[in-house]
Amino acid sequence: MNGEGSATTGRSSAFVVSARKRKIQTITRTAGESTLLMIAAFVAIIVLFIFYFVARDAIPFFQIRGFSEFFTSSEWYPADDPPKFGALAIIYGSLMVTVGSAIIAIPMGVSAAICLSDVLPFSVRQYVKPVIEMLAAIPSVAFGFFALVILAPLLQNHGGQILMWTWWLIATPFLLLVVVVAAELLTTSVRDEKRRMLFRRILVVLFGLLALMMLFFVGRNLQKIEILTGTNALNVSIILSFMALPTIVSVSEDALQAVGRDLREGSYALGATRAETIVKTILPAASSGILAAVILGVMRALGETMVVWMASGNSSHVPDPWYNYLESVRTLTATIAGDMGEADQVTGSARFHVLFAMGLLLLIVSFISNYISERIIVRQRKVLSGQ
Amino acid sequence: MNLGTRKLLDRSFTALGIGSIVIMGIMLLVVLVPIVSNGIGAIVFKGTIEHRKLLYTEFQRGDKASLGRELAESDASRKKVYEIMAAFESELKGMDEEKQADYQAKYNEVRTALKALLGPLPGEEMPELTRFRYGQTRWDKAKEKLHELLYEKKWDYSNPDAEAKEYFVSRAQGFEGSSLVKLFPYVEEHIDQLMLPEWTFYWGFITDSSLDSHIFGGIWPEIQGTLFLAIGAMLFAFPLGVVAAVYFTEYAREGFITSLLRSANSTLAGVPSIVFGLFGLAFFINTLKVSESKSVIAGSLTLAIMILPTIIRSAEEAILSVPKTYREASLSLGSTKWNTIATVILPAALPGILTGGVISLGRAAGETAPIIFTAAVSVGSAIGLADVFSSPTPALSWNIYNLASEHEAANEIRHVQYGMVLSLVTIVLLLNLSAIILRARISKKLKG
Repeated sequence: MNGEGSATTGRSSAFVVSARKRKIQTITRTAGESTLLMIAAFVAIIVLFIFYFVARDAIPFFQIRGFSEFFTSSEWYPADDPPKFGALAIIYGSLMVTVGSAIIAIPMGVSAAICLSDVLPFSVRQYVKPVIEMLAAIPSVAFGFFALVILAPLLQNHGGQILMWTWWLIATPFLLLVVVVAAELLTTSVRDEKRRMLFRRILVVLFGLLALMMLFFVGRNLQKIEILTGTNALNVSIILSFMALPTIVSVSEDALQAVGRDLREGSYALGATRAETIVKTILPAASSGILAAVILGVMRALGETMVVWMASGNSSHVPDPWYNYLESVRTLTATIAGDMGEADQVTGSARFHVLFAMGLLLLIVSFISNYISERIIVRQRKVLSGQ
Repeated sequence: MNLGTRKLLDRSFTALGIGSIVIMGIMLLVVLVPIVSNGIGAIVFKGTIEHRKLLYTEFQRGDKASLGRELAESDASRKKVYEIMAAFESELKGMDEEKQADYQAKYNEVRTALKALLGPLPGEEMPELTRFRYGQTRWDKAKEKLHELLYEKKWDYSNPDAEAKEYFVSRAQGFEGSSLVKLFPYVEEHIDQLMLPEWTFYWGFITDSSLDSHIFGGIWPEIQGTLFLAIGAMLFAFPLGVVAAVYFTEYAREGFITSLLRSANSTLAGVPSIVFGLFGLAFFINTLKVSESKSVIAGSLTLAIMILPTIIRSAEEAILSVPKTYREASLSLGSTKWNTIATVILPAALPGILTGGVISLGRAAGETAPIIFTAAVSVGSAIGLADVFSSPTPALSWNIYNLASEHEAANEIRHVQYGMVLSLVTIVLLLNLSAIILRARISKKLKG
């Protein structure tokens, strides 16, 4: 089968091995290699089996109930008589916690990856990587336990305070920066040096006051918020973001490393600062790889079961208003995990098959996004190596 | 923009990156510190006389003579409590009906609280459930129950806008003028003699079975179940994964089939864990019928499929990182390709392959969703090796969920939950730590 292998062996032992023996050797080699191929193909067979067996138990649901109810109604009463299988609110809940965790995880993950690949010296990086690996290794049920037993009561009892302090900690440096940069940008057209500095100072004071007012008022309004239940979409989003972070960081770091030194050095040679180099040169070059990282990370959040099951509150309704992260939600994964216990006894009913329909939905979404991210990575590798 | 602002932006950009890394580190600490500190409390705590009594009766452990002495000591101080109660009961009979009904209701609450603290009252029938046969075994819980005995919790609804506030009223006030009023100061002052707290190192938490659905006892069945499931998964996945990796690195030629197999691998890695559970239920249990219903073997197979992509990927990396010179030297000495792989490349790649295996073992031990439908039960005793083909098992990950979210006394057994989380996290992190150390040694070796 294998040209290179047989050639080497053939040449080295041509004068000791008879033709018959060589034939036997070839046959055993072929047999061995086909066995190896079969074992390697095992994974592909499993993937096919997963699709087949999940779909096999999902299709009866659509045969019994049709498509429209599942995707358009948000009334989920599988135990009632007659039962209602509207999964819209559940799909929305999954979407909500995924988006929420992405909002937290993407900026943090990408900036941490940049820091790891371009800023920190090797000696420090050595100690940071195990931290990220440990974060990835903590079992999801331990995160779920943390969310349920520690974070949820904290949010419920001191929610306003926590929101206010988070706002202040994040917004203060950001707004300060915006004030300085905005003042600078708005005064560049003024020619006279003295007048420009004067204008700039006035603008800084003016904008600074505005920013302070904004900080104060938003903070006070946040402090007034009373969180009725600690097991809500915000809690889950926070925890899920930390579960998605390791994936995002390590895959985007790989993408950033793949960009290579010459682009960086070219940019530095033109006088750019490190931040400018990264934002204007490296991020665009690595953007597709980072996109793939984000997709992979976000998919972890979408497919996560235990955290959402324990800490999302499991109430199947679309929050009011739709962006209210302080209300309980219910997700696809948690529904599958939680309802199987009751649906199990009535195998063959719509109630059993609807859970497989949800599984199929998750499977298809994860397959598509996985495929996209893989394509992106392959293409980026080709582009970068082809330069 | 002038240089100062550009530098400022540059600095803040760096600060943003370092900040996010620091936040990740803090998050790791925030999660781990309470788990570790509270989890240790499941093993090292102040145990009361009830704890030692329980150990002796249920597990036949402890010194009979010293236990007898201690029991005599605490019984002597408890006698006074029961005498006060008996005196009050006879006083109660002599009262007029209205007063009696009023007192009786309050007295019943006191009795319940006292029973929760000290265990069944003398002359009472032994309760059916183990949890009612003993008083508080832990000193911290005993103090909580003492507070419940001394004070009645009430809710203040006076402000209709805000949530009701709780406040406490001394129970002694309700018995002003009766003989029972002596009980409360007596119990409060003599709580040490009543409970005899002393520091206990309860290693049985790891090695004992649970009693009365984890109210007492340890978590050995869960630990054993987790080990069975994870090791079983490795037995299936590790050989398969390594062989597949050998194929991908040594034999596969770039082409349609190889790229298909590779994308199958990454698809499998991206499947949500709960879908593995569904697949395990539909395939291994309902179709292949490897067992009647949930069983360790079905759970192990499901977990094996889940960790297979990780093992393949890490084994591939390990094989690829073996220097080319090794292979060339072996081939030039006239050994065959298979011989080279088996005797040169695999041994050289072994530490790297093991690293991936160890990490996957940790993942299999920590995962919950795939075993919910295939292997896990909430209550059960440790199973023998022969039962893995037929019976389900309790497992740490599943029971953490179950005790924290579905147990009827979830708030009473927080220490057990923390102890379980700590055990699971310890198993997983130790495995990962050994992988990290292993990897550090490999890279040192490769550097020369």
